[in-house]
Amino acid sequence: MTSVAPIRDRPAVATDQRGKAGRGERSAWWIYLPLIIGLLILIGPFIWMLLGSFKTTAELRQLPPTWIPEHPTLDNFRRLFERLNFPRYFFNSAVVAAAVTAGNLVFCSMLGYALAKLRFPGKRVLFLLVLGMLMVPGMVTFVPLFVLIANLHLANTHAGLILPFLAGPFGVFLMRQFIAGLPDELLDAARVDGAGEYYIFARIILPLTKPALATLGILTFLASWNNFLWPLVVAQTEDMYTLPVALALVSRGQNQTDFGLLLAGAVIVILPVLIVFLVLQRFFTQGIAMTGFK
Amino acid sequence: MSGRAAAAGEGAAEIAARSRWQEALIGWSFAAPFVVLFAIFMAGPVLASLVMAFTDLRISDIRNPLSVDFVGLDNFVQLFGDAKFWTTVINTLYFVVIGIPLTMIAGLAAAVGLNQQIVKFRAVFRVGYYLPVVTSIVAIAVVWRLLLSDESGLINGLLGMLGIHGPDWLNDPVLAMPSLIVMAAWRNLGFQMVIFLAGLQTIPQDLYEAANLDGAGRWAQFRGITLPLLRPTLLFSAVITSIGYLQFFEEPFVMTKGGPLDHTLSVSYYIFNQFGFGNYAYAASMSYVLFVAIVGLTLIQFRLLGRED
Amino acid sequence: MNVIRRLAVVMAILALVLVACGRSNEGGGASGAASLGPAVSSGPVSGDLTVWAMGTEGEKLGLLAKDFMAENPDVRVKVTAVPWDAAHDKITTAIAGNTTPDVSLIGTTWMGEFAKTGALDATPANLDPKSFFEGAFNTSVVNGTSYGVPWYVETRLIYYRTDLAAKAGFTEAPKSWADLMKMAEGMKSKAGAQWGISLQAGGTGSWQTFLPFAWQQGATVIDDQGKFTLDSPEMTKALEYYTSFFKGKLSPTALEPNALEQGFVAGKIGAFVSGPWHIGILKDPKVGGDKITGKWGLMHMPMEKKATSFVGGGDLVVFKDSKNRAAAWKFVEYLSKPEVQVKWFKTVNDLPAVKAAWDDASLKGDENVAKFGDQLNDAQSPPTIATWEQVAAAIDSEVEKATKGTESPADAVKAMQQQATSIGTGS
Repeated sequence: MTSVAPIRDRPAVATDQRGKAGRGERSAWWIYLPLIIGLLILIGPFIWMLLGSFKTTAELRQLPPTWIPEHPTLDNFRRLFERLNFPRYFFNSAVVAAAVTAGNLVFCSMLGYALAKLRFPGKRVLFLLVLGMLMVPGMVTFVPLFVLIANLHLANTHAGLILPFLAGPFGVFLMRQFIAGLPDELLDAARVDGAGEYYIFARIILPLTKPALATLGILTFLASWNNFLWPLVVAQTEDMYTLPVALALVSRGQNQTDFGLLLAGAVIVILPVLIVFLVLQRFFTQGIAMTGFK
Repeated sequence: MSGRAAAAGEGAAEIAARSRWQEALIGWSFAAPFVVLFAIFMAGPVLASLVMAFTDLRISDIRNPLSVDFVGLDNFVQLFGDAKFWTTVINTLYFVVIGIPLTMIAGLAAAVGLNQQIVKFRAVFRVGYYLPVVTSIVAIAVVWRLLLSDESGLINGLLGMLGIHGPDWLNDPVLAMPSLIVMAAWRNLGFQMVIFLAGLQTIPQDLYEAANLDGAGRWAQFRGITLPLLRPTLLFSAVITSIGYLQFFEEPFVMTKGGPLDHTLSVSYYIFNQFGFGNYAYAASMSYVLFVAIVGLTLIQFRLLGRED
Repeated sequence: MNVIRRLAVVMAILALVLVACGRSNEGGGASGAASLGPAVSSGPVSGDLTVWAMGTEGEKLGLLAKDFMAENPDVRVKVTAVPWDAAHDKITTAIAGNTTPDVSLIGTTWMGEFAKTGALDATPANLDPKSFFEGAFNTSVVNGTSYGVPWYVETRLIYYRTDLAAKAGFTEAPKSWADLMKMAEGMKSKAGAQWGISLQAGGTGSWQTFLPFAWQQGATVIDDQGKFTLDSPEMTKALEYYTSFFKGKLSPTALEPNALEQGFVAGKIGAFVSGPWHIGILKDPKVGGDKITGKWGLMHMPMEKKATSFVGGGDLVVFKDSKNRAAAWKFVEYLSKPEVQVKWFKTVNDLPAVKAAWDDASLKGDENVAKFGDQLNDAQSPPTIATWEQVAAAIDSEVEKATKGTESPADAVKAMQQQATSIGTGS
């Protein structure tokens, strides 16, 4: 393994020096200004949503809309928790999102590695199929997929919610592109040392693709957590509903939307997504240079 | 890719010694879990929907889908004579041609900006830039209407201060689409940023160090190092954005319902409508026309951004 | 290219399978009095029932189910609440996957397409069609057979500012088309309203506001032979009348969400067409309440040849695949009892579809609610054809072109007819 080490160590040192270099300090302001302006433009609706969840429904219907709640209230959250079997829906959402995310991380990186760095017959066809699948508009496969799930007797089960999303073409494409960017010399060195492909995948590829895995984890978790139509259709009884489905149930009354409940629900729903993002985003700074395995 | 892998393979004696079937076994063992799930839950339904495009399946037939008639290319003939379909094609192209570069440039700028070692509180910025991606589309719709509203809108308020009477952005046939393009770029910038941030990590830092020693400026480094080495990521991002943008749907759905007078009605929205009407076969045939368009655009992008593989 | 060749083989096989099947052609249905299915046993029932209902109805239906179970101790009713937003998809996929419940609530305009799938059970003779409002019951009749019963109804009236109307010279509600127009003009010119009346200029569901005017003029959507009649002179006249409100700047062509209620309370909008839910909104102190108490009222649809309005709401259906048909229909029958309908009105404010329920003081005694009851006797539903939603969308988009002046009313109705004919009735 010694032959790999220098590649990793050298830039790490360089990065340190660069961070302390005087070059950056001087010109920092011009980079902050656009970043902060961009930040304000981007977080506006989120702030409105957060503040809105503390407003009364009547205030939310006001025109023009207000920013600061006139009479801040926790009423929306109270009603939400009263009307929903919250732990149950949270559990369903968490189980499904966790399983789907784990499945995509494992299966997509495996295939991504094979497509990027291995030689085997049918590889090109497989990659084309994966790419093609990515491009099929989802709506058309919806009914056939449900008929399949129903015939497999998976309707109204967690398996029925998870299996169709357990390994997606998006993840394969993402991982394949990132792994393709890693230098071949790294792998060859390991192969010369007698390492098997499984060892290389687990001990070299996976640690080096942490940023990509974090990205895939964030995006998959978000997509699964927000999925609405599929869980609604597969769940035949309310105890199988996920959070977004349950929220859609309470936030829309007979003929008008209950905006208070809707926003409170939206705030609650995105909290786990934000936590996942916060946990995983730090891998964006651990590039190839700093990623080590001891 | 195969050329590269092959070249690498020849470099190592051990690998050359491996027999073909061994390579096949290893390769397919990595692929197997995905392929099994793929065959059951994706290939089957996709094939079924593809067959559907050549039948006259409607909602009335869903209890006995095998009793439909096979109508050959009738759906496609009808589609190409459907004036509304062509309106949606033009709208979608308009959105894609302006929207994709705009979103990618914004996302790349954000990623490069936030990847600077000098920037502090990077986590805060990253979360902030990512927020539109996770914010509920309903809340986004409310705030964007607040911005774009005719009488009480913030943008028209600002224009008013300059003495300009602002237009009714979302109800103006000419301005509705540009408004939605900006909104889509705003919404998807965070997604692009996440991918580019991960991509930037694959670029070894010592290349920048060397360039610094050579006295190359920031722009020269960006053009000479960042862009070329980011090519796989750029390709990925361009392909994913095209796939998403050619299926442009949510923004008009929450903001304009395809109006005014169908000026923001996209192909996907039209498919969604046909699907809702229960015209499954027609919706499927339209989906596969869209599919071919996506494949075409992807091929162009592979040609432009891909390596020689 | 190997893939493509392999795919082609699979496709060819699948195609052969499909050609071998083929659909048998059915004749068109006869019209006339709705026929019912054979009665189900009215004796004691038992077993499990699953029931789907949307939104608030779904959340609260459990209360009525509990009463029903008290009367029928051997039955266990399980209610699943379904969000309205995707209820159509859920029911469709359930039919496709053979996972339908026993009983479900269904939007009245979906009856045509779901009945056509063959998944719905014909209404048994145990239920009396005459006990329901005629317009509402007709929503369940597809090709001459009834496939369910209306559960609750809604119809459209004109909400108007009585104080502005008085300034415009109307101390009593206008009763004709000409007077309605005059009132809208007067509200704008004499009472300071920005808009005399707010009519839907286009977009999803604008047919619900426009079609009543067509019916008032004597126009029809479809004739007895199942041919569309959207380009009749009556339809043109109705659309001319409708668009004249926009041409005269009496009605806005675009309104932001919530702007309607605020404009009405502020006296900027003199009138609008809507269903019973707006009573509650206007009485809400945060929206209207004291600010407009005594300043607004409801008017019956104006008379031209008729004074017809639109009737919608929700129907209850039983699925053919139900393993417990007798209990399922018994539950529907229970929900159609006048006293249960009254209880339901008191629980969720849904207007009863059963006429006898309206004799109850809680409905008769409320002046506004009673007005809706009055209009229900002259309310019509769109044809229950399988393609209605698509035809309605075509009407919506042509109405928008006419109100925004990009197309003349005469051309718009011609385009409606042409599109509707090419869509067909789905039979």
